[in-house]
Amino acid sequence: MDLMTIYLDNAATTWPKPESVYQAMDKFARESMANPGRSGHSMAKASEKVLEDARVALNRLFEGASPDRWAFTLNCTDALNMAIKGVLNDGDHVITTDLEHNSVNRPIRSLELSGRITVTKIASDEGGTLDPQEIAKAFTPKTKLVVVTHASNVLGTVQPVEEIARITRESGALILVDAAQTAGLLPISLDKTPIDLLAFPGHKALMGPTGTGALYIGPRVTIRPWREGGTGGDSKTETQPTDYPYFLEGGTPNIMGISGLLAGIKWVTQQGIEKIHQHENSLAKKLSEAIANLPGIRMLGHQDWSKKVATVSFTIEGLEPYEMGNILDSSFAIAIRPGLHCAPHIHGAQSTFPDGAVRASLGPFNTEEDIDALIGALKEVLGE
Amino acid sequence: MSKTNWELTEADKDRYSRQMRFGAIATPGQTRLKNARVLLCGCGALGTVLANTLVRAGVGFIRLVDRDFVETSNLQRQVLFDEEDAAQGVPKSVAGAKKLNQINSLVTVEPVVAHIDRGNILELAKDVDLILDGTDNFEIRYLINDAAIKLGIPWVHGGCIGSHGQFMTILPGDTPCLRCVFEAAPGPGEAGTCDTAGVLGMTINIIASYQATEAIKILTGKLEAVNRDLVYLDCWENTFRKIKIAPLKGKVDCPCCTHNRFEWLDGEQGAQTTSLCGRNAVQIAHAKPIKLDFELLTKNLAHLGNVSSTRFLLRFSAEDCDFTVFPDGRAIIKGTDEPDRAMALYARFIGH
Repeated sequence: MDLMTIYLDNAATTWPKPESVYQAMDKFARESMANPGRSGHSMAKASEKVLEDARVALNRLFEGASPDRWAFTLNCTDALNMAIKGVLNDGDHVITTDLEHNSVNRPIRSLELSGRITVTKIASDEGGTLDPQEIAKAFTPKTKLVVVTHASNVLGTVQPVEEIARITRESGALILVDAAQTAGLLPISLDKTPIDLLAFPGHKALMGPTGTGALYIGPRVTIRPWREGGTGGDSKTETQPTDYPYFLEGGTPNIMGISGLLAGIKWVTQQGIEKIHQHENSLAKKLSEAIANLPGIRMLGHQDWSKKVATVSFTIEGLEPYEMGNILDSSFAIAIRPGLHCAPHIHGAQSTFPDGAVRASLGPFNTEEDIDALIGALKEVLGE
Repeated sequence: MSKTNWELTEADKDRYSRQMRFGAIATPGQTRLKNARVLLCGCGALGTVLANTLVRAGVGFIRLVDRDFVETSNLQRQVLFDEEDAAQGVPKSVAGAKKLNQINSLVTVEPVVAHIDRGNILELAKDVDLILDGTDNFEIRYLINDAAIKLGIPWVHGGCIGSHGQFMTILPGDTPCLRCVFEAAPGPGEAGTCDTAGVLGMTINIIASYQATEAIKILTGKLEAVNRDLVYLDCWENTFRKIKIAPLKGKVDCPCCTHNRFEWLDGEQGAQTTSLCGRNAVQIAHAKPIKLDFELLTKNLAHLGNVSSTRFLLRFSAEDCDFTVFPDGRAIIKGTDEPDRAMALYARFIGH
């Protein structure tokens, strides 16, 4: 990546990372990148401690039941697959929505197509928000799981997950929240909100590196591991040890990445997630207001910035999103993400399928100048 | 590289008798040809002439690689194909191999339907004595050069456009390599392509015949006879120029043959393709951005009659595909979801 690039693709992964994240990974790699183990040599213990520290940090940040309930994963997709494939049984009914990413759509659809589960998909409203009452109506006696995103990765619209979680808890089903766009950006309290499964990447708002993610498994959940193997501890048992988190963590984890994630969590906590969110949203609001009235631009989703994360999506008459993306990249060195953003259903609902949209998404290091550059570029291109 | 040690049979001696009477070849040379293995990159204009000549000359094994299918517009210069091949749309390497088997069943022709890229070239080249350039783009030529230098295999470059063409023989460790002479490829849109500037069948036959002659010299071990110049000729303007490149060997600080940095094999140079999800389109971008001259490209593509451009993009349509090209050389090609086809179309209409 050219350091001159104006990076506005933070919904895909945040960049740059805080300096402390780079340093933590460098230090870890040089000094203690051994295979973790609970009873091994001192380097193995140091490695294990990174995992423990990160679990404690996550549990504090999200007010979970216990650090042991956090299983590290490769990314959010991995966490969502672990939850969906580990929890559902033949004959179960699942409620999901048209806002979901393919990391939710695809595992659910393939289970549905193989005849193992039934699915009800709830549509969001025109602005891109779910009505919890629509979800309440979809429950059947067989409903096992509700899967819902905390914020749309296309529209940035924040969903009423607290209300949806409460309704789900009353029905006795489980709820899996995809916090890909919100973990580290919006407050999530597992203590106050009855969320059973929380999946998120480490490399977005938590500021860790790619290759990190986690799944929180609440006490009500019965789950099967979808990956089995060595755990660095109990080697006697013939099958996967049942104690958390090792039950779900076969194989050597990405400890170097998690050392970076741990530094990222510390950084986010020090900055204050509220402050980061406000910073990003004030830029997003400015961007949205500046371009909404440009000729041929159509903004997607509602623009009430008190109920959004800093994602600004739009289409341009006469220019396909991929073309605009390439123009911004090749002529202005601005990185945005064009296309369907792996969320085809919401593009269908917004009548932007299959071309998709242009998505600019902000991170904690973006500045007013970055936004002005994008506004200026759009004006220049549309003025042609 | 040849592992075989076949002797000539009576059938060989009869078939190749005129060639064997040529003193520099004779029985030892013909025997070497029988045991020789060649990788021929591309089975188009140069490729079909090269294959035709070498198969008739008794080169024992030829691996013929091309990803394209025969079309009517190939028949003007691609000598192994006929109207039926074009009507059936047979892969060029398959149609070529079939015809070559009819021409000479004593040798082996192995057709491979594939786009040559950094993922397969070392495998394609690992067991041959010589690589021949029958391609139509610089990207693959630099890749061939990397592979040839890395593996220590001689290769013969050839290229044609309009009525002019050039060829050059590369003996690793002995002569300058392609990068010693042409440090960088002409940028897309700069050099013209056979699809924009056209090409004469006669030019092809002349250049390929020179390449084949170089091939026979190398395969028979007559390295002293190898042409060590870059030869450039124009059969319409009646010009023939020999450019002395031998002194460049060791004098230029060549990344490839001096420093063993194989930038095309390692993906530091060249184009990357991405299939755009669900769009029946492929995006092509260069590992190192280049500067595209829209004015020149518009002129080169004028015959298509549908070129339009702004400062930020240039659009045209050809071969049932819509092209959107950007100033740094990247392009979106709509109408195909095959990266290989998109690359071939890019090479044909934009260049490289």
